[in-house]
Amino acid sequence: MKQFLIFTVKTLLLLFLLLVVLDFLYTTVYLQSSNRGKIEYVYNSEARNYDVVILGSSRANNHFVAPLFEEKGLKTFNYGMSGGHLFEAALLLKLMVARKYNIKNVILEADLNLSNAHRDDGVSARFMPYIYDSKIIKDHFSGEEDFKSLYYIPFYRYVAFDSKIGLRELYKTVTKEPTAYLAHLGYYPLKKKKGNMKNDIRALKPLQNKYYEEIKQICAANNIHFIAVMTPMCTNTKGLDYFEKVKQIYPEIHNYESIVEEDQYFSSCGHMNDEGARKFTAIILNDFFNK
Amino acid sequence: MFFNSLSFALFLPAVFLLYWFVFNKNKSTQNLILILASYYFYSCWDWRFLFLLVFSTFLDYYTGIRIEKAKTVTGRKFWFWLSIGINLGFLGIFKYYNFFVDSFSQLLNGFGLQTSPLLLNVVLPVGISFYTFHGLSYVIDIYLKRIKAEYNFVDYSLFVSYFPLLVAGPIERATHLLPQVKVKRSFDFEKAKEGIYQFVWGLVKKVVIADTCATYANAIFDNYESMNSLSLLLGAVYFAFQIYGDFSGYSDMALGMSKLFGIDLLRNFNYPYFSRDIAEFWRRWHISLSSWFRDYLYIPLGGSSGGMAMKIRNTFVIFLVSGFWHGANWTFIAWGFINALYFLPLLLLKKNRSNMETVSLYWNWSSLRIILSMISTFALTCLAWVFFRAKSIEDAFDYIGRIFTNQSFLPQYLENERYSYEIIILIVAFILVEWNSRTQVEPISGRYSTLKLALSIAAIMALGTYSDYKEFIYFQF
Repeated sequence: MKQFLIFTVKTLLLLFLLLVVLDFLYTTVYLQSSNRGKIEYVYNSEARNYDVVILGSSRANNHFVAPLFEEKGLKTFNYGMSGGHLFEAALLLKLMVARKYNIKNVILEADLNLSNAHRDDGVSARFMPYIYDSKIIKDHFSGEEDFKSLYYIPFYRYVAFDSKIGLRELYKTVTKEPTAYLAHLGYYPLKKKKGNMKNDIRALKPLQNKYYEEIKQICAANNIHFIAVMTPMCTNTKGLDYFEKVKQIYPEIHNYESIVEEDQYFSSCGHMNDEGARKFTAIILNDFFNK
Repeated sequence: MFFNSLSFALFLPAVFLLYWFVFNKNKSTQNLILILASYYFYSCWDWRFLFLLVFSTFLDYYTGIRIEKAKTVTGRKFWFWLSIGINLGFLGIFKYYNFFVDSFSQLLNGFGLQTSPLLLNVVLPVGISFYTFHGLSYVIDIYLKRIKAEYNFVDYSLFVSYFPLLVAGPIERATHLLPQVKVKRSFDFEKAKEGIYQFVWGLVKKVVIADTCATYANAIFDNYESMNSLSLLLGAVYFAFQIYGDFSGYSDMALGMSKLFGIDLLRNFNYPYFSRDIAEFWRRWHISLSSWFRDYLYIPLGGSSGGMAMKIRNTFVIFLVSGFWHGANWTFIAWGFINALYFLPLLLLKKNRSNMETVSLYWNWSSLRIILSMISTFALTCLAWVFFRAKSIEDAFDYIGRIFTNQSFLPQYLENERYSYEIIILIVAFILVEWNSRTQVEPISGRYSTLKLALSIAAIMALGTYSDYKEFIYFQF
């Protein structure tokens, strides 16, 4: 039995050693990466200057045509992340500020995502490689239920989020395989889709969102002009009074929900196609940046 | 509590420590801790079904004794058929009732008689097919006077409910397991080390091979109508490795952990995809079930002793029943039927007992013939797996039809956001490792075992699929 216990201890030590080595290897690779996604693009960057930074979920990513801002002479990047919640948007802004980005305006898409004050695993995973390296990321995740496992068990985060930051992503990072995330200044255009648009958002309830407040505070503290907007939905949506409820909680959020209505401008009910996004962006530019 | 879960990673060492350091006084205390651990393990799935397990155990324990003590043939028969009836009754109610009623109703509807079947809203108790078959083999063996009845209830309970084999086998025999639980186990370092290696290799098969293949196989099977020939072929291959990695991985983990307690379980897989014909495949795949059907169904039906017609009938019976054992769905029956069809030419040509020895390859023409026979056997099994995996028989035929009619062999981007061909290299590597270790139980032990253990652990960590977690397929049976 003594022999077996020694064997077991050795095996566990071997396991621990492998976890540490793998963790070091993966983290080192991700610390060099800046062309695979928006998070590493910010994390592994120096100070940048922007007239406009766009934040939010896919409804920011697919709706704000950053090149149209550039045509107006506004240096812009769309940092909207598909699937992302305000949890990740707030953290990304914190990282930008820490990297001394000079930002004049932040446009935050704040509508359906106000109903959620939790992280999105798929997007949050992209922050995980940097959790030891960055106190900001560590602090942001410190309230999460699985923080201790993620932070203290070597390699656990790469196992827990293997589909996002596992071996496959590591390989693509090493080979510097490009992605579409950074093309078109971060804006991702959607194609037209045929068929009737419909959606049901009656189950959603807007919250006093902690991360929305955080973004607002960061902007105020860093002299960044903060513009919060609700972006369009197709007309065949059940529960459109959601946007009125948002307005009651946060009157400063500009309601553009019904500014683009026809189905021809949508790819799905919650996401406009490129044509719709251009129409919407033109309105935003006219309303906020028409000097 | 899955074998590859965090809770089991705490449970197993705790039972190990209690078993060897606290309850190691004699075989009774050893058995007591194992049976308590087994009941706890089972109650983690659904505590309500623990009563069913205990009842089933008690039924076979009691009827086994009554069969042995019966003074008349009628008495023996009564207790025997009572046990068989109740065991199969439970299995029938929980697993097959809805299927039969629904199928019968559809049949009547086909004749224009409108019926609304009374379906039961029941959950299938995990492992019911496995522990029922444990009990059945025990009672049949007593009835046929092959073994003596077990009078110690704890020992008998452990035979039925031993947690490594409780939910997905291997299906043990009283002649093999009961003698082991009747004596005090002493700790054997080499056996325990082998157990660790086998457990780790089982984990590799599950999380690296099966769960990774599952994401691709699911993406292909669930959208097969939009897949081209290449993707459909790969989908069938991926499912073949998914089910093999899943079930043989589970069996390896069960056998490995059991060795930690000094108990050997029956081997369930013996590198089936290196088989040269279907008969050999069935001697290497789910061995404990195949041999169960051979001993308790095929041989009592007359086996190979009668004429050719009887042999053919018996072959079809065991393959159909074997398919039906897997689940109450026509797809499983079709899968069994197809395997019987594969087996038929071997039976007619009296070649079903060839290829008994371990396969070896050399640089000559006969080895090329062996390789081709292995590939063709694998292709046949893949074709049959399509029926096992498909939602319906129509879907399976449609899936196979599209392989031949689509004629496009370009890589496709799948729903899981990966290309269809991406894991071929992983499968080839796995085949090479298995080929090199085909004469042993697992590939880790032997020379450079520490290095191989380290590589296996690294593979589990780095190559495993976790975020798209898949339950063990055979738990549903």
